[in-house]
Amino acid sequence: MVSISDIVSVVVFPGALFIIAYALYCNWLSRKTVARLQNRRGPMHTGYAGLLQPFADLVKLLAKEDITPGAANKALFSTAPVIIFALALAAVFLIPIQSLTNLYAYTPIVSFEGDLVIVLLIFSLIVLNVFLAGWSSSNLFGAVGATRVALMTLAYEIPLVLLTLGPAIMAGSLSINNIVAWEVASVKSFLAAPSIWGLMLGVVMFIGFAICILSLLAELEMRPFDMAEAETEIVHGWQVEYSGKKLALLVLGRDVKVVLASALLTSLFLGGPAGPVLPPIVWFILKTTLCVLILSNLSALFARFRIDQMLRWAWQYLTPLAVLQVMAIVALSGVI
Amino acid sequence: MAMERELLKNAASRPCTLIYPFEKREMPKGSRGKHDYDEAKCTGCGMCSRVCPSFAIELKGLGPKCEGLRVNLGACLFCQQCEESCPTGAIWLTTAYELAVINKADGILDFKRTPRAPAVPAAKPAAPVEVKK
Amino acid sequence: MSDTEFSIPIGPQHPALKEPASFLFKVDGEVVIDVEPRIGYNHRGIEKAMEARTYIQNLYLVERVCGICSNAHQTLYAMNVEEVAGITIPPRAKYLRTLVHELERIHSHLLWVGVAAHEIGFDTLFYYVWRDREVVLDILEEISGNRVNYAWNAIGGVRRDIPSDKIPKFQKMLDILAERTKYYIQVATTESTIINRAAGVGYCSKADMIRLCGCGPHARASGVNKDTRRDNTYLAYDEIPWNVVTAESGDVLGNVLVRVGELVESVGIAKHVLDHLPDGPIRERFNPLQKVPEGEATNMVEAQRGEDIHYLCSKGDNKPYRYKIRAPTLANIPSLAVKLKGGYIADIPIVLAGIDPCFSCTDRMVFVDETKEKTWDMTSEEIRKYGIRWYANGLNK
Repeated sequence: MVSISDIVSVVVFPGALFIIAYALYCNWLSRKTVARLQNRRGPMHTGYAGLLQPFADLVKLLAKEDITPGAANKALFSTAPVIIFALALAAVFLIPIQSLTNLYAYTPIVSFEGDLVIVLLIFSLIVLNVFLAGWSSSNLFGAVGATRVALMTLAYEIPLVLLTLGPAIMAGSLSINNIVAWEVASVKSFLAAPSIWGLMLGVVMFIGFAICILSLLAELEMRPFDMAEAETEIVHGWQVEYSGKKLALLVLGRDVKVVLASALLTSLFLGGPAGPVLPPIVWFILKTTLCVLILSNLSALFARFRIDQMLRWAWQYLTPLAVLQVMAIVALSGVI
Repeated sequence: MAMERELLKNAASRPCTLIYPFEKREMPKGSRGKHDYDEAKCTGCGMCSRVCPSFAIELKGLGPKCEGLRVNLGACLFCQQCEESCPTGAIWLTTAYELAVINKADGILDFKRTPRAPAVPAAKPAAPVEVKK
Repeated sequence: MSDTEFSIPIGPQHPALKEPASFLFKVDGEVVIDVEPRIGYNHRGIEKAMEARTYIQNLYLVERVCGICSNAHQTLYAMNVEEVAGITIPPRAKYLRTLVHELERIHSHLLWVGVAAHEIGFDTLFYYVWRDREVVLDILEEISGNRVNYAWNAIGGVRRDIPSDKIPKFQKMLDILAERTKYYIQVATTESTIINRAAGVGYCSKADMIRLCGCGPHARASGVNKDTRRDNTYLAYDEIPWNVVTAESGDVLGNVLVRVGELVESVGIAKHVLDHLPDGPIRERFNPLQKVPEGEATNMVEAQRGEDIHYLCSKGDNKPYRYKIRAPTLANIPSLAVKLKGGYIADIPIVLAGIDPCFSCTDRMVFVDETKEKTWDMTSEEIRKYGIRWYANGLNK
């Protein structure tokens, strides 16, 4: 029986409207951070300190003319942005943020055994739709961008899956909610009785966090891995033919993907929305803000990689480190 | 990672962007901006109009009867040659730089001058009287 | 063409190009097989317009051939007119011209480092370098009154003087620039993502560069040791100690190192000039409507992008009869084609930016008949008649 609180939690909080608003906030935060690192100011005048700037950009895009190229595959071209946005939004429902009814509980809207696998599947489906979006646009630059996106998955997908396996193995469950519960329990037991194995587990999880941030940089197509969308080379890559409402959906989808990535990172490595004293929503915002800050800093720090350099780098450094990290976790799980 | 320290140092220091139009920069003396005109010094010689590379200055009448100048800021290069070539210093460039207008007609500076009577030549001295012996 | 080969047009409008030029690439996957450059999109008819204006008016027109090599073109034009008119400029004017020539070189190279960083996706470095470029723009604004297109030269000297009480301030600003340049040299040689994108990318050997007549920092990056300031010396360069900067690698990293090295040299030259300014007048008299005796003159300067050559022909009037400009980028385009072949699509923007293209300087018009394999120029009367025939006979339909 579907109740009013279920509907409100899906649509308003912590569901769709909250996630969209939070995505716009993360966009603002990312822009301000990158601007300050580059010695400039970032958005200033729309709303207080430019907080409404991402919303204003969205409204501007919605008002623009929506042109579909004549030679494009209309079905794929029109549905790809919708699917990308919807998939990203749906994946966030699986991650614990805050319960609507209980102030100090954080059950996700949907939770079942194996929802971690569903989140990873959604990542792959999003990439498939990005490829279709670029390929169906009948533009040469779109096709080049689409092939680059498909090639990138060869690089980051395997380390990402391996790294998410680590906490799952320790928790003994493939449900994100259970992983967060295991993290809370293990931190409590570590604080009660510190041991050398707990310390080693912390170090290994920290390394996993660092590598996972790099893989997620590639998944989010942020600098230094934005070659699918490189403005100076292929004029906006797979998004080149999109305009108006479809581009607005793509921009929103990109921002929701950032929220999804930070939320996944906090749930798997930082203990999710759990924390002392304050309600979970505050901890969620604090921890995802930290993730967005780290992602923005890395994004401002490097030049863009070339696609072959990225593949070589991922297979030389990222994948072996991920494998080693999983092996360390398996070894520790036998001991702890 | 080589630049991380520089990034953090920049994040901690004051941003270099000026919040224009709330903060404006002081233009150095000698910057080339909008023209200004002193009709008392202008003799209507038309030198400024003849040396202008983009033919932006138009004289309304020549000589003492000149009624002023029209400067088309849209064509002006702000090269200052008019100021340099003016023999009396009647036209010069100020440092005003906010010259954007919406209609092109508003971008034409109209300087007025009251026409003056032509200078009366001095009376010729009387021819010396030859004293015939 | 095989199945995976296709043609990608870069330009005339493309975010990688700051000025319009068209490059048609034949690519196989991500590898470039062939490139066909086409220029001429920025042709504005400046050489023709110069024939209708007096020598003083042309000073400001020739400046606008290019926005960032503007002072180089103006200096060269003034040198040409002074040679034909038989005017020698006073020593203080020589030094002041050298000062702004070098300050503009600093401006241009800083701009180029920022643009190159932007092309490889490194926006942070782009913003930092352009923030430091403001220092040299402030110096130029205090000296000449404008941040670009300084209108600094007059026929017979320079138009403004530098008051000696401002010189310590300029010295301090140049010191700031020197320090920031050292930091950028360090970044360019140690930041691994830059080296990944720039080292080994866009290689042209020294022999190819000499054969294809490259010039400027682009040629010096391949080891060709030629610099007009030393080989064909003009202004005050024979009286100031300075060095020519070359690199051996011949790739984009070589371009970066040569230009940043030249930045250091230019700051040194500018400081030396400010310390050793001779006293005296700053210009010789030249009337706005003065007629220049009949004669011809050809001169070269080392513009920011290489060797810039102008030719002036005067027939005794107060307007030039013919003025011809050969800009350095025109000479650099054949070697650019060599650099692009065999590279990746992702390398195209940085290699294009590596020659520091200035297509505004470059574009001239010449008539080519491919069937008869003949090239020629047309006078204005011939163009007028050709245009009438073209429209009247419906050749444009």
